[in-house]
Amino acid sequence: MSVRAKRLFGGVKIPSRKLSAGSPILPLEGVEEVCIPVRQHIGAPATPVVQAGQRVKRGELIAKSSAPISANIHASVAGTVKAVEERPDGKGSTVLCVVLTREGEEEAFLPPLTNPSKEEILARIEEAGIVGMGGAGFPSHVKLRPSTPVDTLLLNGAECEPYLTCDDALMRSHCDEIVRGAKYLAAALGAERILIGIEKNKPEAISAFSGALEVVPLKKKYPMGSEKHIVYTCTGRKIPLGKLPAAVGVDVQNVATAFAVYEAIEKGKPLIERVVTLSGKGAKEQKNLLCPVGAPLSSLIRACGGEQGAVKLVAGGPMTGTALVGEEAVVTKTSSGFLLLSRGETNAEKPTACINCGRCGNVCPMKLLPMQIEFYTEVKDYEAAEKYGGATSCIECGACGYVCPARRPLLQSIRAAKAALRRKV
Amino acid sequence: MSYLVSPPPHIRTPMSTKRIMLDVLIALLPASIAGIVLFGWQAAVVLGISVVSAAATELVWQLIAKKFRKRPKEAFLACLREFDFTSLVTGLILGLSLPALAEAWYAPLLGSVFAVGAVKMLFGGTGKNVVNPAAAGRVFLFLSFAVMMRYPAPNFGAIASSDLSSLTAGATQLATALQGEPTLSALDLFLGTGVAGCIGETCKLAVLVGYIYLSARGIVKWYLPLLCVCPAVLFGMLLEWEFSFLLMAQLGLSGGLLFGAVFMATDYVTSPKSRLANIVYFVLLGLLIGGLRKAAGIEVFSFCLLLMNFTVFLIDPIFKPRPFGKTKKEGNK
Repeated sequence: MSVRAKRLFGGVKIPSRKLSAGSPILPLEGVEEVCIPVRQHIGAPATPVVQAGQRVKRGELIAKSSAPISANIHASVAGTVKAVEERPDGKGSTVLCVVLTREGEEEAFLPPLTNPSKEEILARIEEAGIVGMGGAGFPSHVKLRPSTPVDTLLLNGAECEPYLTCDDALMRSHCDEIVRGAKYLAAALGAERILIGIEKNKPEAISAFSGALEVVPLKKKYPMGSEKHIVYTCTGRKIPLGKLPAAVGVDVQNVATAFAVYEAIEKGKPLIERVVTLSGKGAKEQKNLLCPVGAPLSSLIRACGGEQGAVKLVAGGPMTGTALVGEEAVVTKTSSGFLLLSRGETNAEKPTACINCGRCGNVCPMKLLPMQIEFYTEVKDYEAAEKYGGATSCIECGACGYVCPARRPLLQSIRAAKAALRRKV
Repeated sequence: MSYLVSPPPHIRTPMSTKRIMLDVLIALLPASIAGIVLFGWQAAVVLGISVVSAAATELVWQLIAKKFRKRPKEAFLACLREFDFTSLVTGLILGLSLPALAEAWYAPLLGSVFAVGAVKMLFGGTGKNVVNPAAAGRVFLFLSFAVMMRYPAPNFGAIASSDLSSLTAGATQLATALQGEPTLSALDLFLGTGVAGCIGETCKLAVLVGYIYLSARGIVKWYLPLLCVCPAVLFGMLLEWEFSFLLMAQLGLSGGLLFGAVFMATDYVTSPKSRLANIVYFVLLGLLIGGLRKAAGIEVFSFCLLLMNFTVFLIDPIFKPRPFGKTKKEGNK
């Protein structure tokens, strides 16, 4: 079964550069110490429930959800708690982490569920600490209790970011599991229809799912996987500004989240590992690795044969990811990939004058005018940036910055404008 | 080991300002070659003077601006690094929109200095000018020197043996046509053979080649020049109340309409920002040209363009796109 997708306004064609597309999912070896941050999601950080010196089993709760919007965190390896302390997060700041030294292989998973009810599914998702694995990391048990009725579950398998292949690898090898996870999600939501949107550059994934779910093959265009836009292209419904997809009766979940839900329900396994793409020409090999949460980036780089001439480290995709200051970063529940970009792939050219070519406005999927926002932000007139450019509606996809021939720091300006406007309100 | 840290996106398109300007120069190449073939060495002299003096004006301006901060050698190197070919484009377009008169060698020189110095650099350089520099330079020369009103016809092709006086005496082919004088065939107009006019605008074939190149490279939206030319021609025919192929060819293929629509009106800096605003701008420009041509009896493209440049600030906010997901009720605030 396949559904025809609606055309997306704007967007930009970016070379996919899926260097790790051929790689199977390989388990990450040689992790002796993991450093698990207590904040890997949107919302309040979890509260650690273990002390230094304590033995923990794999899958044991180590930090407990402390607020309505928060998520549990579990030990990703069996071993001893070395410390509960602030550690550098690789982004230039520090974060409270539970550091585990690996010893033994004991497991302490939850009991598997058979034919669970709606409430049992939701309780298990909350217990297993599942968060949205597409990047934002919003706690799933909150997202699965929408305030308006939802009739459609949309699985997001677009993976429109260049380089990243973690979702693609998962969809190719674990189609059945994702479908079963999706059915649990749909049951929890009370949704009758399950759609999956996949970009056409992943034909294997499209054919794998076409027997099981309604597949929407999407045009290869960035940012196809943005929540607002995948809802529009797959269902034709427009999400009003400032509203969630549930407002139009759709719930969007990443394919990796669906897989995690399957594991939590049928195997009782909390969210303690995920597929991470390590890519970029700055790495000797490009691979999709199954990593325990908290695995240090250096162990991933070692598994890929080391770095060669990388000038930039990026956590996430090249369009929305964060540049890292060093290799101290660790894998979290939301890490889709790490990129080691070489000189030829990334560029740090100086910005030149805006020539008003209008490319940023033409590619903006939100139909904003980024050049106007930037112009008014430079002179600190944030109201005008909102009035003439629409700063607060920006989804920060970075398409404008990608196409800018003058290399203007458009996204940076938009973020500055948004922050300033938020302070004022 | 330290790594670069910057905000996303971490990858960029290879298309840069320099590359865009280089593409425009490449697109202007056929028109330049056609001009030199049709008008001979005089055209080459005019083009050379205007391009060199345009680039020199920018460099000198930048040198003076930087001199007080850096040592001369460093300042010069910085100027060369920052030179983004925009003034070359301005100079070439200006040269192509002038008649091929080598005796008026001072005209391209003064025009380029005015276009780059007064119209562009004085307002803040690349991206900051309010009106199209080339059009402003042309209007400046047109109003300053009577010699600019004389257009030689190329001494080429079928016209070579005939009497040239009627063609060189006064105006462009368009002006003669508008005044009801005997005219050339549509094919002659298309190829520019025997047509009196400016260097770059007589050979429509060359302009068309440039247009196709710019559209294919994505520098110019393919429909924008058409949205200017079609209304101008249709409105012109309506005013004449004559709907013949010959009149259509005369209105569309003579004068600087095609050249201006492809190379001058599409200038990024002085045209509106959003897609819809651009469409409105080009159609209005076309209508204005169609109307004023009839009233003035001469080619008025650069005047109309300057007029329209001043309306951009009005058009932009009115035709601002509505953000995705914004409901109609909230309005286009």
